[in-house]
Amino acid sequence: MMFSKRTKEHKPFPWHLWVFLGPGLLIYLTFSVYPLLDTLILSLYEEQAGQSEFVGLKNFITLVTDENWSSAFWNALSNNLQFFAFHMLLQNPIGLLLAVLLSSPKLRLASSYRTLIFMPTMLSVVIIGFVWQLILSPIWGISEEFLYSIGLGQYFDAWLGKEGSALVTLSFISVWQFVGIPMMLIYATLLNIPDDIIDASTVDGASPMQTFFHIKLPLILPTIAMVSILTFVANFNAFELIYAVKGALAGPNFSTDLLGTFFYRTFFGFQLQQGSSTMGAAVATLMFLIILVGVMLFLFFIQRRIQRFQF
Amino acid sequence: MKLMQVFLPKNTSAGQMSKSVTIHGILLAYTVIALFPILIVIMNAFKDRKGIFRDPLALPTSETFSLVGFEQVLLRSDFGLFAWNSLLVTVLAVGLVILLGAMAAWALTEYRFRMNLLITFLFAMGIMIPIRLGTVSILRLIVELNLVNTLTSLVLVYIAQGLPLAVYILSEFVRTIPKELVEAARCDAVSEYRIFFSIILPLLKPAMATVAVFTMIPIWNDLWFPLILAPSEETRTITLGVQQFVGQYVTNWTSVLAALTMAIVPVLILYTIFSRQLIRGLTSGAVK
Amino acid sequence: MANLQLKNIQKRFEDVEVLHGIDLEVKEGEFVVLIGESGCGKSTLLRLLSGLEEISEGDLMIDGQRVNTNPPAKRGVAMVFQSYALYPHMNVYKNMAFGLKIAGQNKAFIKNKVLEAAKKLKIDHLLERLPRELSGGQRQRVAIGRAIVREPKVFLFDEPLSNLDASLRVQTRVELGKLHQELQATVIYVTHDQTEAMTLGDKIVVMNKGRIEQVGAPLELYHQPKTQFVAGFIGSPKMNFLTGKIHQQGPESTQVMLESGRIISASVNSSELHQGQMVTIGLRPEHCTQASLDNPLTGSVSLVEHLGEVSYVYMDLGDEGELVTKVDGDQAFQAGDTVSFGIEPHKVYVFDENGVTLDRVTNE
Repeated sequence: MMFSKRTKEHKPFPWHLWVFLGPGLLIYLTFSVYPLLDTLILSLYEEQAGQSEFVGLKNFITLVTDENWSSAFWNALSNNLQFFAFHMLLQNPIGLLLAVLLSSPKLRLASSYRTLIFMPTMLSVVIIGFVWQLILSPIWGISEEFLYSIGLGQYFDAWLGKEGSALVTLSFISVWQFVGIPMMLIYATLLNIPDDIIDASTVDGASPMQTFFHIKLPLILPTIAMVSILTFVANFNAFELIYAVKGALAGPNFSTDLLGTFFYRTFFGFQLQQGSSTMGAAVATLMFLIILVGVMLFLFFIQRRIQRFQF
Repeated sequence: MKLMQVFLPKNTSAGQMSKSVTIHGILLAYTVIALFPILIVIMNAFKDRKGIFRDPLALPTSETFSLVGFEQVLLRSDFGLFAWNSLLVTVLAVGLVILLGAMAAWALTEYRFRMNLLITFLFAMGIMIPIRLGTVSILRLIVELNLVNTLTSLVLVYIAQGLPLAVYILSEFVRTIPKELVEAARCDAVSEYRIFFSIILPLLKPAMATVAVFTMIPIWNDLWFPLILAPSEETRTITLGVQQFVGQYVTNWTSVLAALTMAIVPVLILYTIFSRQLIRGLTSGAVK
Repeated sequence: MANLQLKNIQKRFEDVEVLHGIDLEVKEGEFVVLIGESGCGKSTLLRLLSGLEEISEGDLMIDGQRVNTNPPAKRGVAMVFQSYALYPHMNVYKNMAFGLKIAGQNKAFIKNKVLEAAKKLKIDHLLERLPRELSGGQRQRVAIGRAIVREPKVFLFDEPLSNLDASLRVQTRVELGKLHQELQATVIYVTHDQTEAMTLGDKIVVMNKGRIEQVGAPLELYHQPKTQFVAGFIGSPKMNFLTGKIHQQGPESTQVMLESGRIISASVNSSELHQGQMVTIGLRPEHCTQASLDNPLTGSVSLVEHLGEVSYVYMDLGDEGELVTKVDGDQAFQAGDTVSFGIEPHKVYVFDENGVTLDRVTNE
């Protein structure tokens, strides 16, 4: 073991190690780890007239119980859960369906479909938000006209402007944009299943349906789990779409407010309410905890149970 | 019959035929759904106001064709500058993420040292925990460093945002490099720096492409940090620029459509050119 | 168990025809080996038999019934894949039970069948394991077990031994032979390994470029290859081929002049050919001996490979190229030695320009 790097002899300081690791680590610690920890600590303080004072969990108690804050917070949280549920129920199943269709054997034009369907995912959420705002606008009337042409005209409404339908509509837009991600990841996993295994199942007498449910689906479950956690993190971090389409106030009447927009308003203030960095930090801390719990649940319960398969 | 041949392999039996038609039908329908809104916007950007409202589904005709929207956008905002800012920030940040990420990944996988596990864990956390949650403190920090309204602030934050995934993907890749390569070089007394820069770095190229894809898209499309850290007219990125412009001229349809088109088209052109590499990177990197 | 008939089976992918009309009969309980170089169509043929690929033209009959359009399970075939193709998320038991479960059999029946097959293959202690926890040889057995439990009419094997290491391959080969005797099953077995073909097959089908080159029992192919391709394919080391011209033709004896002017006489019927026509002669390494005084071939030894029991001697014949001979392991040869080997005329093969073997005059 003469050349082992583990020898405990007096070695010179490993300069090269820190030359390699140092710059990246420094930037990461300074602009990501430190701010995050600082935010968590800041959430325990209150700032008044430039003086900050340790107040323990007061900010959180205010957020969850105070009449000025709590309804807004719970509203944003519940909207966010709906937003997430909507993605899970729509985005991932559609992505799965498209991936399965794309991976059908000997499919012509598969790569063209894949490229085109993934296109919206590449564009900025802000741009997509505006595009749909125009498309759904009653002033332009393009959707209304389209619905009339297929005989559903009477169902048209200014969906984005109505309290009851705005959040669902925005969810639809987001699903429409990001369906490419589950599609692509599941598709890649499906392509990785060796043809022999599918053939074996066919020879064993399984119909294409049975092959899908008994063989393919169990093999893509780890990917579906991964897609779900990615969706979870992205959804509880969403901001741009709401901000672009509905502004920081997430109207009408906060019906499209998500934790992201709520955080933004709390931090920077809106209308008469002054922005507060400590309250903002408290909101961010709660978002952090929610995401952390979600990720942990995923790692410990789901990921552990679903083994990753080597072919 | 010619058309059918595009979609179906030859010698297809009737049963396969109907199945194939269904599959193509669904995929084609979804492709239309995916592209329709974008195409409508682009199409109408080249029309005058009347053309936009009279028949939004029609292609521009000689009567309705107009570039007035684009003229207004270029007149009222500094689109060229916004695009340049975005390009500068994205290229610098992605380039540095790749370089620093590769160096860190190499250090963390090749050398054993006391804090290795802790640092690896810290980077791994960053993959899942969004950097946005630290915005309150990031803003304070940027203010203290006197970097508000500078592109530098964006580059620094984006490096921090991109590094965790870069380190993860590159580390996975470094592990596949045969140990003998490095050991042979060490036996020849090649310095650790030379080993990294002339042996390892060239081998990491494919993984770097994957990292570039994953890092580039969120940076180019980001609204949050430009809005908070660098909202001034001189430092606006294209995403923020479009957002502000559309917010300001929301009733001016020709301008809004033109602005959106100017933001969409370059990305779509680049995407079409690089889609093959991009999708390969996306699928190979993500499966691991 | 069943018999199979293939009548003019053809397969086209798009515009490319890869099988040009295969006719073959497989009797009940027969072990048939399809052999050929990669790309010769042997695996494609197996996939046509299994029902994984559609037959473009021709008839496939199993027990007298045309099954061209039947799905795999309805044909009563089971297949063992080169990669084993075990379902990675199912344990050994479930892997073996899958086919029966799909067929809607009841649990007790399935359990019975699986345990029986597992015992036979000595994998009954592995039933709870996942495929990734098994060694290559164990996976192989599970794959065979999965085929056995379904009690198919025909077993299809696609190069099942090629992923095993050398010693395990020999051992498994022997076990496969025993298993076949025990089950008395009809087997169609694809391989590119001639040892597997010779040792396992009741009947060997040599394929080349989408056609059947020759069908026969192992020794028949060795002794009476119909073409130069088959002659070169069966036998190790490979048959030596030397080119020359007909020097003297005749119905019972033929003389061939090699490029250097050497004359080789062979007991073959060349009355259809005329003098001066290009032919190829084939000499098996094991037929060339120093003891034989016929057709002497002299040259210098360029290399000797000692295998123990036998040695391969590579001789440089000058204009004719190289000649490989197989000699007793205890005979001493050294590179540089000038040696002379002979071969009896009735052991010389002659192939015409199309690679067809000229009829040999047998005096036995």
